[in-house]
Amino acid sequence: MTLARLRRQSIGYALIAPAVVTVVVFLLIPIVLSAYWSFTEYNGVKPPTWVGLDNYATLLTSPRFQRSIWNTVVFVVLGMGLGPPLGLATALLLNRAMRFRGVFRVAFFLPVMTSLVVVATIWKMLYNENGLINEILRLFTLPGHNWLSDPNTALPSIVVASVWQGFGFETVVFLAALGGIPRDYYDAARVDGAGRWAQFRYVTLPGLRPTILFIYIIGIIGSFQVFDQIFVMTQGGPVNATRTMVFDLYDKFNSLHLGEASAVAYILFVILATLSWIQFRFFGEGDR
Amino acid sequence: MNQWTRPAVALAAVALVASACGSAASPAASPAASPAASLDTTPVTITVWDYYGEATPIRPAVEGFQKEYPWITVAYEALDWDSMNEKFAVGVAAGAAPDVATLDMTWIPTLASNGVLEDLSTLSGGMLNGAPIADQYNAGADEAMKYDGTYVTMLFDFDAYALYYRSDLFEQKGIAVPGTWDELRAAAKALAEDTNGDGKPDTYLYQVWPDTFHYAQFLFQNGGAILTDDLTAAAFNSSEGVSALEFNKSFIDDGSGIYWGPDQGDQMAGFKDGTLAMFQNGPYMMGVLKSGAPEMAGKWKVATAPFSKQPGSYLGGTGLGIPAAAANKDAAWLFVSYMLRLEQQLGVYTYAGAAPATTAALDSPELTKPDPYFGDQAPFGVFLDAMKTATHFPYVESWAEIQTPTMDDAVAATLLGQSSAKDSLDAAAEETNALLK
Repeated sequence: MTLARLRRQSIGYALIAPAVVTVVVFLLIPIVLSAYWSFTEYNGVKPPTWVGLDNYATLLTSPRFQRSIWNTVVFVVLGMGLGPPLGLATALLLNRAMRFRGVFRVAFFLPVMTSLVVVATIWKMLYNENGLINEILRLFTLPGHNWLSDPNTALPSIVVASVWQGFGFETVVFLAALGGIPRDYYDAARVDGAGRWAQFRYVTLPGLRPTILFIYIIGIIGSFQVFDQIFVMTQGGPVNATRTMVFDLYDKFNSLHLGEASAVAYILFVILATLSWIQFRFFGEGDR
Repeated sequence: MNQWTRPAVALAAVALVASACGSAASPAASPAASPAASLDTTPVTITVWDYYGEATPIRPAVEGFQKEYPWITVAYEALDWDSMNEKFAVGVAAGAAPDVATLDMTWIPTLASNGVLEDLSTLSGGMLNGAPIADQYNAGADEAMKYDGTYVTMLFDFDAYALYYRSDLFEQKGIAVPGTWDELRAAAKALAEDTNGDGKPDTYLYQVWPDTFHYAQFLFQNGGAILTDDLTAAAFNSSEGVSALEFNKSFIDDGSGIYWGPDQGDQMAGFKDGTLAMFQNGPYMMGVLKSGAPEMAGKWKVATAPFSKQPGSYLGGTGLGIPAAAANKDAAWLFVSYMLRLEQQLGVYTYAGAAPATTAALDSPELTKPDPYFGDQAPFGVFLDAMKTATHFPYVESWAEIQTPTMDDAVAATLLGQSSAKDSLDAAAEETNALLK
């Protein structure tokens, strides 16, 4: 190796060093440490004590944690069932030549750029007993409702707020993807007598397949990590109706059960890794 | 925040503190009883975390403290209650704890049992500002500050519940101030009004909180206890506990009370718009009412909490704690001692409208003056009486989880009609017993 080449490489290593150090210190070491802690009883003060799989067994047999998993799954299913279709529908509308299209695009994307805590606070006010939603209901002589205090409506109410906040992202991504589908395909379909639905079914949807896969992978991972809205709007209540896995992790950490908190993180990781693998395996085939 | 962020933050904090600790600590003589001349005056900076908020009596006292101890610099950091709860846990886990922190007394069992708090008996030699600590608090407060027989915190303000009521409405409607549970229910029914004609009272209601603090009050008043005397099993599902929760729910059932959940929002709006006419809470609410609803001066009064068998309340408040991992414990103890002097203790009342904890402050005429806001009543004495019969939450390692979510859920499930008081409390008792093992 020549001196010049060594010098050139040194500069390269020096340039990537900050990124490497950041990844090692803030990602790799915590990943390894929390994996170890998940097999220990650890409060952050006294040294960890090895307990094997006890933390995992305690969590998985706890009715409260089982409820957290269930609530998280319900949040993901409802959120992913509403968000991406709404984003796609909005993108299809905005993709047509219309006045103020740019204004609408910005309007739909604004909530995405707004802090989730702010969005959650605003929606909490909307759901208030004397908030806008109940006042509108009362205008139509319908009774108001305690949306966040009723265990049956608390989680769906948070889903609605979350979908409102997030579907602008999906809209923008779908809009970009729609622009990438060649016009020729639509022209050819029309020549073959395809109507609007047939064009959507046989041209648009296949053209969006990689985008849909991307949206669902990102969306499912994000939805499984739901926390901010829960923390601001309900604190996991009423009676565990909105308690989710990451809220449980936070709760365990706050009560100095770092071992169990780490185990929650790894259970979540396993679920997300499995789901992502399934999505790639079964829905990503055509993109290879 | 994803699942890696917290450990990463902790790790970073460890690194920072490890580098900072090398030059931090300086030994000092026992400060409490010693003259200033014997103190180690090596310059030192102590970090103080305070959750009191804008009306804190601590921040204004910092200047005087630094003047008296010029070698100590105070790095003061204001936090809110929630942030302190989180940040203190992260700080402790990361080894980046402050030197002094205001701590909710309900956090003490978890923190003390995990070895987070410094043994103040040893650090102080049992003395506070030149006199034995035990002589400066009443018996209940003195007991509440100890874990396993040693002091782990110094009570800075206390919390015990009394009844706040709209005295103007009581007068208008000719309602007598309630002294018993039956009278409380009768008063709530007489106060409540249906203003929108939907057949359901919506104004001048009694506030029903779905939490352990308020349930414990009824439980204690009914002769019940949270745990057995040996702290090994749940006792709140006794017949006294069940009827206490049923009594709490009766306000919801007859419409004279309102379940105060996330849909109800800020209670100050409820006071101002007339939704609430009665509630039970601690002395800090005197300050909250005065600053939040000054236009309601003369409309509120405070009375001893109505009871069934005996007076009772949970005993809580704010303690000043020094983490075991604090870098400057002796200087921190000087700060704690300074904050517990009469002048600063009176500031708890004058700045924050809350209740100071030392007997010197409690005996001060400052606190027993008639208060125009409360119709020239001297409300402080009511809380002082409540404090004398109040009981702190059990000091067991798993208390944090027993309170929230276990007992809180049982209370909420009953109040929301999801299950009977007996079923909710039995389920919570089973969970509590498992946590206590």
